[in-house]
Amino acid sequence: MKSLWLVYLTIREALFKGTLLFFFVVSNIIILFFLLALSSSTENGITSLTILGNQISPRGIPDFNPAEFILLQLFNTATFWVLIFGIFATAGLIPSMLEKGTIDLYLSKPLSRSQILIARSAGACVGIGMNLLYFAVAIWLIVGIKTGVWHHQFLLASLMTLPIFFFYYSIVTLTGLITRSTGFSIMFALIFWAFTSAIGNREMLLYPWWDNVVYHRALDAAFYATPQISLMIESAGRLIGNDIMTLANVPKPVFSILPFLYSALSAALLYSLSALYFSRRDY
Amino acid sequence: MAIVESQNLSKIYSTGVFRRSLIPALDGVSISVDQGEIFGLLGPNGAGKTTFVKILLGIVFPTGGTANVLGQPLGPHEVRTQIGYLPESHRYPSFLTAHDTLIFFGRLHGIRNPVLGDRATALLSQVGLSEWARVKVKKFSKGMLQRLGLAQAMLNDPQVLFLDEPTDGVDPVGRKEIRDILTSLRRQGKTIFLNSHMLSEVEEISDRVAILNKGRLLRVGTVHEMTSNQHEYEIRLAVPPSESILSGVRSLCRHLDNEQSLLRVTVNARKDLQQILDFLRKQDCEIESFSPRKSKLEDYFIKVITQGQE
Repeated sequence: MKSLWLVYLTIREALFKGTLLFFFVVSNIIILFFLLALSSSTENGITSLTILGNQISPRGIPDFNPAEFILLQLFNTATFWVLIFGIFATAGLIPSMLEKGTIDLYLSKPLSRSQILIARSAGACVGIGMNLLYFAVAIWLIVGIKTGVWHHQFLLASLMTLPIFFFYYSIVTLTGLITRSTGFSIMFALIFWAFTSAIGNREMLLYPWWDNVVYHRALDAAFYATPQISLMIESAGRLIGNDIMTLANVPKPVFSILPFLYSALSAALLYSLSALYFSRRDY
Repeated sequence: MAIVESQNLSKIYSTGVFRRSLIPALDGVSISVDQGEIFGLLGPNGAGKTTFVKILLGIVFPTGGTANVLGQPLGPHEVRTQIGYLPESHRYPSFLTAHDTLIFFGRLHGIRNPVLGDRATALLSQVGLSEWARVKVKKFSKGMLQRLGLAQAMLNDPQVLFLDEPTDGVDPVGRKEIRDILTSLRRQGKTIFLNSHMLSEVEEISDRVAILNKGRLLRVGTVHEMTSNQHEYEIRLAVPPSESILSGVRSLCRHLDNEQSLLRVTVNARKDLQQILDFLRKQDCEIESFSPRKSKLEDYFIKVITQGQE
């Protein structure tokens, strides 16, 4: 219960800093755009969608569902920006907690250091989650009302962005604790994302660089030991539907929980390392 | 009963990533503070006062020695439900009001409403911030933040309070109010551990004082022990004495200083003082008063620190 108050204060701090508020404003602009720009019409039993008067046409692809197409594009774009904005909005919360005068007050209270750290990280994720939920429900309602397609999987996929962010935040937490620098945490988080994307596609991108078994196994180990951000986003997107590029050519890929499981394990390891580091430092 | 106890407490900080250097902050400090005491910890900057308090609170880990607070060894965080702490530089969330700040920190202590709300209101009144209860902390002056900090430290009705420079930045009236609060807490049986540079204040309210320098404990004792000088007396006469009287007194004491009608004498034994008083009476000198000479804590502090450096 005591930790929940720390979560609450963290959300308020993120709101006060304005970055989360900016995030909220951007969400509202996108919601308003879709509310005004999206319209649908039905001719000969085929529903077509237009955005700002431009029709989203089937392009000869069988089973093309324009509503699903829009939701998937929105999901992919929104998830990318949620993660980017989310990191910018919350990366400072760990270093600011460690500032002289703040950390002394927290550590003098009857809370364990792990409780303080987890509450702080959870506060950052809940703040982002609230924004995300608001955005996803609003888009789901707009598309549902305007097209009659109530795509529940979109809501589920959007909700899955929250664990993705929580797993991703584990690296920000550890970097923030060690460096006590917001700028460095953000920079490292972005580089880390690029790195995990590369090792997610290591067979295509990294294996050809050096035909060596040890090198390949090291890449495999790195893949399983770090949160698989790009693979999780891709997998969650499959709950909505297929990418337009793959629709016509390949069998429909299915959602896989594995990237989430591997990422949960590696995030648990990173959070444990953070807690261990935090519990042994002098402040 | 010892509320705070340390034995050979040591701390060495290591700094630098590639070239590690070791900085000793505490060197075998043993202190015992009893219940209901106001205990002043004095020392120049970098003496190790804050490090000592932070070790007792679990904010810094010792490199050697042991310590107990409220009978509990260092480590478990549960004991902190009975501890209040005002850090030297404290930073409260600037977007909260004074009242909300107390509510938040009270929640971290596990205090629930309506007790918490009532206590926050009462404490804000006690530290003179009632009118500022609904004002955001970012608008507070340094002195007001100190008052809020003190209220925050008292929020959980602690058995022991650690106050690091509690009157820093507070105006003279505010300092007097804080001293009154601390003495009232002592009457309630609370133990107060006070770190301060304001020696006159420490002298005024502390029962016992410890002097630290460069991490080493130089002296521990009551304020009286530190400020009273053995065999040094002040004798005030009604009129300034003549030179012949002064030479007579000089012959009876080890050392004499005089300023107009005030004589400061240092004798070898108390009976020598009686001889001086008898001599003065025989010379028809009217004695207005005589008393053991007391020095200020500040003088004693400077003397101890200087000796320690020599």
